[in-house]
Amino acid sequence: MVEAELTTPRRSWTIVGEWELRDLWLGGRGLLLTLAFSVLVSMLTYLTATNRALNFLEQRESVNLTLQVAIAVGALLALVAAADTVSGERERGTLETLLLAPIPRLQLTLGKLGAAFSLSVAAFAITIPYVWFLGRGVGIVGAALASGAFVGMLLAVFLASLGTLVSVFAASNRVSLSVSLFLLLALFAPTQFPSGAQQGWLGEFLLRANPLTAGEHYVGKIVVDGHAWSQDVLWLASPIVAAALFALLVAVAGARFMHLSRGSSR
Amino acid sequence: MSAAVEADGVRKLYGELVAVEDLTFSVAPGQILGVLGPNGAGKTTAIRVLTTLLAPSRGTFAVAGVPHTRPLEIRRRIGVLPESTGYPERQTGEEFMRYHARLYGHARASAVAVAAKLLADVGLADRRRSLIAGYSRGMRQRLGIARALVNEPRVVFLDEPTLGLDPAGQRQVLSLVRRIARERGATVLLSTHLLAEVEEVCSHVLILNRGRVAALGTVSEVARRAAAPRSARLRVAPEHVEEALSVLARAPGIEHLARADGAPGSLTATNDGRTPNGHMNEALRRLVETGVPVLSFELEGARLSDAFLAMTEAG
Repeated sequence: MVEAELTTPRRSWTIVGEWELRDLWLGGRGLLLTLAFSVLVSMLTYLTATNRALNFLEQRESVNLTLQVAIAVGALLALVAAADTVSGERERGTLETLLLAPIPRLQLTLGKLGAAFSLSVAAFAITIPYVWFLGRGVGIVGAALASGAFVGMLLAVFLASLGTLVSVFAASNRVSLSVSLFLLLALFAPTQFPSGAQQGWLGEFLLRANPLTAGEHYVGKIVVDGHAWSQDVLWLASPIVAAALFALLVAVAGARFMHLSRGSSR
Repeated sequence: MSAAVEADGVRKLYGELVAVEDLTFSVAPGQILGVLGPNGAGKTTAIRVLTTLLAPSRGTFAVAGVPHTRPLEIRRRIGVLPESTGYPERQTGEEFMRYHARLYGHARASAVAVAAKLLADVGLADRRRSLIAGYSRGMRQRLGIARALVNEPRVVFLDEPTLGLDPAGQRQVLSLVRRIARERGATVLLSTHLLAEVEEVCSHVLILNRGRVAALGTVSEVARRAAAPRSARLRVAPEHVEEALSVLARAPGIEHLARADGAPGSLTATNDGRTPNGHMNEALRRLVETGVPVLSFELEGARLSDAFLAMTEAG
């Protein structure tokens, strides 16, 4: 018998991530979601371009609108993919063999999180030509894409971590997806409040405390009002804190609570 | 030589429910240990504890010489085929194997080579590029066994590997189990419901009942230790049934006589279990001396099945 000479790969999260990416993209799910996303962005760009031509929408506002939808939907895609990571494996009966592999569960979690995050990266990449098309001529494309990429990354990390966290504890994949989407809707709810409700100290506090509304507000200030990066930087506090906090939470939860069945030990 | 698996007073609780209680046993390297028990006996829980998927509530164990407090190192040295495990339907058998080979530390090139070799070993070489979605249950079980061998494990845990397989599939899997022990020198823990499988491939047997060890030893030791009543099934010419019943009723040690279902003239005789062989031999001798034509005579009992039933029903 050959003595076991294999050692745990040092960066096993890259192996997990690579195979999760293959599954997501070559399996077709990622392509389907990004196809739906590109159809949405195309329709939105067409509508905003038409409105701009009719002078209903200022050019900067049309860029901002498209960018904000792209950021939000990109983060939503990451959430949807992340909500399937653990509960989906558990439901399909494939989690046990992964848990038996000699790799730390933190690495397993990171690999899966990375694959889910790739969806928002792809969504943002798809958005670039649309933003360029809408924003050409007024010198805001660079700032719009940079701020959109930064805020989009923060929100995608936050939502992918949230989805994975829910998935670690969810009893079924359906529960995981439902709870994740419910939480996302709750986060988006303030954007639908009447403008009066978004004013005053309470309104502003809610906007600043909510990572989604705060992030999008920040992007809007740069794209529409032409503010400098540093001018409204405090609006980035909640997206940064949420991304860092939930990334930490999911790392801890993945390492300690990713079990074969919900509620079992180890 | 240190034991391949050694458990000492392992207990596993699910809330208030005791799934495994005081599990104490050891398996020497190279043995094939059959783990038997009725549904809910704790076989799968015991395997999940020993493979570090579940933490023991109490007790200690070591696998391949590694204490349970170092689960990653244990996982590096074991191979496991879980019960009713799932497979990624959109991957091919080769991709699945390569992925797991990488997870166990193989470099890219070595993962390709080990995947090809193991798939050939389990008879899946010609289907290695087919999607797992198209695999039969037997093929999936063989793929699972191949996956369990990617790290050249010193101990292999197989939880119900023949569940749901047809007889040909069962035979293939059991043949693989024998080869794992013979050619690789690995210790195998084979959990199963099928007593015939244990009698066929295992050198030793562990019977679990209600989470506790009911018996442990070689297959023949356990069968003997059960002191299960021996019985015989015989067939005499139909016109001699009454005479045969009368002769057998007078034979020493025969406790119970009955007509059996099946061919005309079939009877069953059960002895009192104290001197099994002698009683049945004497009964047969008397039948022959009396001139009753004995068309067939088959001893039953003191087999693993009797031991299993005696130990699990009594518990």
